[in-house]
Amino acid sequence: MLGKLLKHELKATGRLLLPLFLILAVLTVMNRIVSYLDIFKGVLSVIPGLIIFAYTISIIAVFVVTSVLIIYRFYKNLMTDEGYLMFTLPAKTRELIDSKLIISFLWSLVSIAAVILSLIVVFSGYSYYPDMKHALAMLFRELASSLGNYATLFYVELIVMTLLSIINSTLMIYVSIAIGQLINGHKIIGSIGAYIGLSTVLQVLSVALMAIANLAFGNTFQDITSVPRIIFPFSLAFQLVTSIAFYLGTDFLFKRKLNLE
Amino acid sequence: MNTILECKSLTKKFSGLTALDNVNLTLERGRIIGLLGPNGSGKTTLIKLINGLLVPNGGELLIGGKSPSPETKAVVSYLPEKTYLPEWMRVSDTISFFKDFYKDFDEQRAYDMLQRLQLDPSKRLKSLSKGTKEKVQLILVMSRQADLYCLDEPIGGVDPAARDYILNTIISNYNENATVLISTHLISDIEKVLDEVVFIKNGHVTLHESVDDIRSKEGKSIDSLFREVFKC
Repeated sequence: MLGKLLKHELKATGRLLLPLFLILAVLTVMNRIVSYLDIFKGVLSVIPGLIIFAYTISIIAVFVVTSVLIIYRFYKNLMTDEGYLMFTLPAKTRELIDSKLIISFLWSLVSIAAVILSLIVVFSGYSYYPDMKHALAMLFRELASSLGNYATLFYVELIVMTLLSIINSTLMIYVSIAIGQLINGHKIIGSIGAYIGLSTVLQVLSVALMAIANLAFGNTFQDITSVPRIIFPFSLAFQLVTSIAFYLGTDFLFKRKLNLE
Repeated sequence: MNTILECKSLTKKFSGLTALDNVNLTLERGRIIGLLGPNGSGKTTLIKLINGLLVPNGGELLIGGKSPSPETKAVVSYLPEKTYLPEWMRVSDTISFFKDFYKDFDEQRAYDMLQRLQLDPSKRLKSLSKGTKEKVQLILVMSRQADLYCLDEPIGGVDPAARDYILNTIISNYNENATVLISTHLISDIEKVLDEVVFIKNGHVTLHESVDDIRSKEGKSIDSLFREVFKC
């Protein structure tokens, strides 16, 4: 059943996102071509400026539309009248959440990858690209040398943390919507309120945990290796625990307290 | 195995208000049953409980001996009183959707019914009127070979001509193992297709009898009995 849900989820979201990626691709190529041509003199010199402007907007749009779609799709498909269709399918509530989460995660990764790829294509057309690459390589080398034996651990943790934080923020939106739907007639306001409330609680909690950690390991924080040794593992654990709580909370509320109007 | 639905002291409360109070109800297979009651009597609540959209506060509800679950959802065909199909889909998309998720879905039957009602499968839902959307939904729901059909106000929004066609479809589509539960207050329109009626009032089942028995005992139609029982 999860497979079928994933298929339909991909179809429902792809029809909106794929055209956007196509626009980004077209503007990327145009940008690259314009940077090669040196024909825009006088009044025409406005053209490269316009293309760069459109390109910048399209990059912002990819991120904004992806995030908005992740939220909108979950709300629209599960909490409005469409919820009558989805929650009466012969599927487990968890499978509904999983299908939404997996496809959201996928699109988040695709958006990030598309923008990075596009930036590489555009910037590789500029004369200062080799210098930029060199500078970045230098930065990583320096980081690696100061981290010493912890360099690999640092990078692995960084990647895992980035991926987990995408899942974490998606699940936090899901649970906020699941809380917000409890309030009859004010589901959206309720969801926003729940999100603000949750962020506040988490903020306070993480500050408190940091203060405790500071008391426990205070003097070692001067050392940069404390990042991969202490700070990253702690924040990974924090994200993991909150993600599981958000997931179980969403599942519980949908199973026991579903409130379709 | 002749019972399809069994409610034992089923109770559902909404923040202080009791929508269903200690309901005991047993429905057999092979019947067309009218779930009749005024607005707010608990009809939709009962249907939502059957479909697992709500969880009871007390008592038990069994469909073919099982509590609501993905397993029971596979054998219950539910028509809510909402237009619940995604607006961006084409009619043909909704058919492939149902075909994917419901093993008992008969694609050919759905297309036949669309043609009969002269509905274009390539149209997008958002371009259809509310009544037409309701027809599409009813076609999808009735194209399943389910054990229990729960139709919540299935004829409210459609014109009388389509209403007759739909009622005929309901009678001719179901088999002897299936039960159709129709909630409505348009009693006179559906009276002729009903085998049994369940009267529900303020969350209580006040009557559950066969239509023939009522007619011979009371000597009046369900419609006039309803008007009498629920007189304001």
